[in-house]
Amino acid sequence: MVSSKFVIAAFAMSMSAAALGAGTHGDEHGHGAKNGEPGKASDANRAVTVEMHDNYYEPDAIEVKPGETVRFVIKNKGSLVHEFNIGTPAMHESHQKEMMKMVQHGVIQGGKLNRDMMEMDMGDGTSMKHDDPNSVLLEPGESKEVIWKFSEKGDIEFACNVPGHYQSGMYGKVNFN
Amino acid sequence: MKKALFAGAVCLLLPTIGLAGEYNLTVDRVEIDTGDFVKQGIGYNGKSPGPVMRFKEGENVSINVTNNLNETTSIHWHGIILPFDQDGVPGISFPGIAPGETFTYNFPITQAGTYWFHSHSGFQEPDGAYGSIVIEPDGREPFRYDRDYVVQLTDKHPDSSERVMRNLKVMSDYYNREQQTVGEFFSDAAENGLMNTVKDRMAWGDMRMMKADVEDLQGFTGLINGKGPKQNWTGIFEPGERIRLRFINSSAMTYFDIRIPGLNMTVVQADGNNVQPVNVDEFRIGVAETYDVIVRPKDEQAYTIFAESMGRTGYARATLATEKGMEAAVPGLREPARLTMADMGGMTGMSGMNHGGMGKGDMMGSGTMSGMDHGAMKDMDHSAMKDMDQSAMKDMDQSAMKDMAGMDHSKMANMDHGSMMMPEGGASDPFYAQGSGLIPTAANGGKFLSYADLKAQKPLYEEREPTREIELRLTGNMERYIWSINDVKYEDADPIRLKYGERVRFKFVNETMMTHPMHLHGMWSILDVGAGQWNPIKHTVSVQPGTTVYVETEVDAPGQWAFHCHLSYHMAAGMFRKIIVEGGPESNQAGSGEHSDAIGGDA
Repeated sequence: MVSSKFVIAAFAMSMSAAALGAGTHGDEHGHGAKNGEPGKASDANRAVTVEMHDNYYEPDAIEVKPGETVRFVIKNKGSLVHEFNIGTPAMHESHQKEMMKMVQHGVIQGGKLNRDMMEMDMGDGTSMKHDDPNSVLLEPGESKEVIWKFSEKGDIEFACNVPGHYQSGMYGKVNFN
Repeated sequence: MKKALFAGAVCLLLPTIGLAGEYNLTVDRVEIDTGDFVKQGIGYNGKSPGPVMRFKEGENVSINVTNNLNETTSIHWHGIILPFDQDGVPGISFPGIAPGETFTYNFPITQAGTYWFHSHSGFQEPDGAYGSIVIEPDGREPFRYDRDYVVQLTDKHPDSSERVMRNLKVMSDYYNREQQTVGEFFSDAAENGLMNTVKDRMAWGDMRMMKADVEDLQGFTGLINGKGPKQNWTGIFEPGERIRLRFINSSAMTYFDIRIPGLNMTVVQADGNNVQPVNVDEFRIGVAETYDVIVRPKDEQAYTIFAESMGRTGYARATLATEKGMEAAVPGLREPARLTMADMGGMTGMSGMNHGGMGKGDMMGSGTMSGMDHGAMKDMDHSAMKDMDQSAMKDMDQSAMKDMAGMDHSKMANMDHGSMMMPEGGASDPFYAQGSGLIPTAANGGKFLSYADLKAQKPLYEEREPTREIELRLTGNMERYIWSINDVKYEDADPIRLKYGERVRFKFVNETMMTHPMHLHGMWSILDVGAGQWNPIKHTVSVQPGTTVYVETEVDAPGQWAFHCHLSYHMAAGMFRKIIVEGGPESNQAGSGEHSDAIGGDA
């Protein structure tokens, strides 16, 4: 019922191409703060496993060195859809509006992701794939990797921007040392 | 209240022994200063509200309650799952605590979250005998916050509760300051025509109620943590912190609509049970309910916590600020809510209200529309006339009309009143009658929490078919101030008997024009919001006028329990039942009204 043409059309109209690049806003929204850049697997010296629960991360803080590339193994151990997204607080706040639309349009429904809808072409060459390299969006039981190069010190958090989750504390601090 | 420290130390050495805490409460005569007036009341440990009792999940608590009053008292641990003889309801759980006596409650804490406690004797609770309970979970909280505050609301009236009850009995509209005036009559008549206005007033008069009966007790001062609006309770924060606010409505009679202008609130818990987080701008808290929200003020400024009564006749106010003494603007009260015919509660509501000429027998016996008193029907419609859209009228289908005769109350509320009364582009909420004058909207035009938004964070019970359904009609006669269930008040009613191990579906049909917060002791109410296994569990469920609400209960607690409307004066007037759970583990079965010596053994 939610995947009707009408909903898709409304969805496409409501989102700009820039906004669709969920999480890759970088300089636009970060007020100069950078969250880093996609890393190469060969540069990653260590793997960090982050478990997502309802609604918190384990661990809920990580230590990195400036310039370090980390391979994150993200596991959704909860019973709801969760996101792992590396960014500044401002980037997260901006992304939350897009995630709210994903819920309102039925892409995220509690413990389910409507992947068909995410794959669909919106008519302007964009989609709601949520496939940006700094983030993954996982159903319960799913596991994916994010390889990320932290470039410099900054106010960086990993966060779940599913509505209400970040607000109630589903975030973790990236501490530089 | 002192916790035996050595108990904690022992537990470190011997982790196999559960935590045990000992607590002391005294029940005292106290003075309550609201900033508007000072009155005598009842409190705990010398104060009203009493202390915040902080427990830990897994702990065995031992609470010594000393009665310093010259009358019997009791403490009910509202929302706590415990053996029935520790539940604190005189006449059902135990005999009560006599003057001068110390009674020791002993029970294990098997849950976490925000709860409260209060006297279950006479009108001690509205007189000030209440406090809060915060239980830390065994594992981690499923959310993060930097600090938390209890925000406990009440509606303090200058009259003593005994006197309030007497006045309501003599004249049910004694405290109704929002009555429609002669002036309003003429302005309505100008707008809607004289005859329609006359008929409208007559219809309401017939139901022994008035449109302004949203709140039957007005003239109170709203308190937050014991402080009136002028005294301004203030919670301190550092900008950027997440703050958990534990809202508890300990009012005798008042529902509050709560907002914090400038801040979004994320609701994370209702009635002590975690819910999937939902972002809101405003929410309504029923009497005896609790809601926990997380807010994150980012700026170094003050924010007003504004709790406006549902009928807009009063408010409570507090402040979040970076230092004491700071304050933000206090909003004005919005226009009073007015009940509409949609809130009338359906045809049986009229019979429940002793609507002239239409007895219950007419309804129950007929089975068809033709059996109904059409004269009465006509009366019903008048107020609707002004808003009524003829096409909507035509859309009413006859099969639905038959449903009315078939007594499906929920359909009735949605069908007839809805199609007649829906105001243009009005707000909607599936837990209010369509077109209801009570449907809340957020002051800033944003999101107002609905029961429909509440989904359990982690279902407590497996989903399964209920074993049977019990219909409970919430009934009353406003003029005589009689409140009842299935038209029978407590003193005349047989107990409701449940069987241990069954899952009962309660069908609440509100046939009155007031909202009733129904509270079941000892067992959870699984509120049907249409979310299946994610339906939230609550201890108190509000049933709005003209609506039918379903809750299911896993009957997993042997013994005998109280079940009642939590509005103090409705409860006292008879909207109350004893529930007996038959069967279950041998040691915990309800006796034949006798209480074992062990209960008061430590006294």
